[in-house]
Amino acid sequence: MGKVKIKRKSTLIDMTAMSDVTVLLLTFFMLTSTFLTKEPVTVITPSSVSEIKVPTSNVASILVSPQGKVFISILGEADLATFDESWGSENVRKEALQAAAKRYEEVTGKKTNITAMDLEKFSKIGTFGVPLSVMHEFLALDQTKQDEFVSDMTNPQAGIPMNDIVFQNGDGREEITNEFQIWMRAIYNSSNENLRDAMKKGEGIAVKADAVTNYKTIHGVLDNLQTIKMNRFSVMTALKTEND
Amino acid sequence: MAQIEQSDKGGKKKGAQKKMSIHVDFTPMVDMNMLLITFFMLCTTMIKSQTLNISLPSNEKIESEEQQSKAKNSEAITLILTSERDAKGNVKEDGQGKMNIIYYYEGKPFVEDKDKDGLIDPSPDGYGVVRAERFVGNEGGVEQGIRKILHNKNKEALAKINEQKKLWRDKQISDEEYQKRAKEIRNDSTLVRPVVIIKATPEASWESVITALDEMQINQISRYQIDNINQVDSAMILDYLAKNPKH
Repeated sequence: MGKVKIKRKSTLIDMTAMSDVTVLLLTFFMLTSTFLTKEPVTVITPSSVSEIKVPTSNVASILVSPQGKVFISILGEADLATFDESWGSENVRKEALQAAAKRYEEVTGKKTNITAMDLEKFSKIGTFGVPLSVMHEFLALDQTKQDEFVSDMTNPQAGIPMNDIVFQNGDGREEITNEFQIWMRAIYNSSNENLRDAMKKGEGIAVKADAVTNYKTIHGVLDNLQTIKMNRFSVMTALKTEND
Repeated sequence: MAQIEQSDKGGKKKGAQKKMSIHVDFTPMVDMNMLLITFFMLCTTMIKSQTLNISLPSNEKIESEEQQSKAKNSEAITLILTSERDAKGNVKEDGQGKMNIIYYYEGKPFVEDKDKDGLIDPSPDGYGVVRAERFVGNEGGVEQGIRKILHNKNKEALAKINEQKKLWRDKQISDEEYQKRAKEIRNDSTLVRPVVIIKATPEASWESVITALDEMQINQISRYQIDNINQVDSAMILDYLAKNPKH
């Protein structure tokens, strides 16, 4: 009597091939990805047929929330191997804050109390939008508190203020400016010349606003840009085809 | 996880090399990779947004008025954009899509009221009369709404550009050559080309402004500008609404 032997089959599946595929996919995603940037408000941009891509370096983007609050983010030269260290985003941000605070103190006579520590912290922030008068306090907060501060649309101190600052210029005549204009000038005058050229051509200034926002709200921003002679700029849009 | 199987068949011969087959279980590795892929897929933006270049006139506003008066009645067209909003501030929608309305008039505004009935008299030459249109794009390949009007205004240039476009589609001319020729045609002063002035009311949505600028691109119009709305424009819209009450 021959015993019937039940062959035990191993249930092990060779996962090597599967692993190969997943690693390939992973590499693909890692190389192609650009991370979502953290923004205080999410806006849905209107669509257009324009096919020009948003630049990833040397651009100052102005984000306008539907409530009319204004935020700015600065990107410097991405490739620091070929350019000077001082052309990078962090340095441009530092210089911008320094110049803006100096100008603000000049025209208002108020102190901003920006320290070297503050500059360091500011250089790491992507999108900012607080009045210069509270900048020091804002930078002292931890990151989650900062995010809460700027994304709370009911907070009167969120967003860059655009109310007039009247001051006497060198000749003793009265002039009007505002913090938004101070910021844009400070960014323009940073040591990154490529950013300046891009801003001159209009590629370096990108206005991003929601599709349903009132024209009145955005007109305020555009008007300010016109006043400081930055009348060439680009607006961010989503893609659509010519037929719809 | 990793097993090393010894396969020793037969008797033990002295000095024979033991054959080892190594199995490494890759399942946890795959698990981890899948997690990472999921993370990257969720955190990335594959679609980069586009930009539309705008150049505004400088704040010294002498030029625009001059240009407006220089343009012939048949060439000038003024678009006044506005949006109907509900109580919440969202743009209303109806059967034709979002209610972004364009009031437009050709030539100079006509605001005479000789019979003093509070309404603007009919224009003698048909120019300067406000009409209303919508952004409706194409329907079955035919231009509709405001696009039709702009298309007709710029049909000479568009016909020429379409000829070039056909050549480009048939690969007879290169991409750069096509862009160059299209630009030449857009700026050809011998053709009848419109001058478009875009104005937006304070409640107009940003989308309508962008769509209007887009129509300029679609209709290959090279001469256009964004301007501020003035009293005459508002008066004309009010007059239009008085003559054409909403249902």
